[in-house]
Amino acid sequence: MQGFIKTIFGDKYTLSVAGACIVIAVTLLHTPAAIMAGFVLPACLLAGAAYLAKH
Amino acid sequence: MMGALIATYLTATVEWVEAYTIILAVALSIGWPRALGAAGAALLFLAVLTTIGSVILTMIHDISILQFVIGVFLTLFGVRWLGKAIARGAGLKKLHDEDAEFAGLRARADIHEERAAWWIAFNGMLLEGLEVWLIVVALGVQTHHTLAASSAAIVALLVVCIAGALARKPLAKVPENTIKFTVGSGILSFGTFWILESLGYDWPLGDTSLLALFAFYILGGLGLIRLYRAKPLTAGTI
Repeated sequence: MQGFIKTIFGDKYTLSVAGACIVIAVTLLHTPAAIMAGFVLPACLLAGAAYLAKH
Repeated sequence: MMGALIATYLTATVEWVEAYTIILAVALSIGWPRALGAAGAALLFLAVLTTIGSVILTMIHDISILQFVIGVFLTLFGVRWLGKAIARGAGLKKLHDEDAEFAGLRARADIHEERAAWWIAFNGMLLEGLEVWLIVVALGVQTHHTLAASSAAIVALLVVCIAGALARKPLAKVPENTIKFTVGSGILSFGTFWILESLGYDWPLGDTSLLALFAFYILGGLGLIRLYRAKPLTAGTI
């Protein structure tokens, strides 16, 4: 069951990275700089992948 | 649609190659009929999961919610694969070695017991197939081509079965990390695109933004590999 859940959702690091990036994107979309979300979310996710590569 | 089918096919190829290694190791202990029986049972379970997953997702009538849910799943999957591929490409983590995996399985004491070996084959096929299931359902439902996505996964299975039947040993020459790096970037592009679109964001280049995202993740990933690499790149590292 643990393998099943981990395969679908990933580990705590993956969940934290994706969650933090989405929160940043949603927050940004509610500001006057909403247009920047299309640049900020990919940059955050790439930074997240870099973090996951080290952990 | 073509991008989604290619991503499904490549994801399925990597996962089926890993599953084949497990089935082969088990088959040498309990015979091919029983090992294939376990694999077939796992595939049947995955087919049921695909149907249930597709039905549940198509019950979500609000396209924005559907896009967001699928986008999140693809992002979780893509960022994980990209991170792993960067780590392996940079030498921070060992490359997945099918021969070593096979040797490890053959060294297990329980692989020679019929019931335990059957479960090893069933669990292995199921866990490897789950990632295929996730991609088939997510990309299939979102692009309205679940059947085509399922077919791409089945074609990949047939190709691996034929290659396995010809080789009769682990398929160690498949460039797994290169495929994971490319597919991870592609899946992450779909996830990023759909998450923001579901939240009302208008992509400046429309659907072409997907290609820009893909290029960004590929180039960014290659840059990170270069940054992290401690030793010179060896052939087949990425």
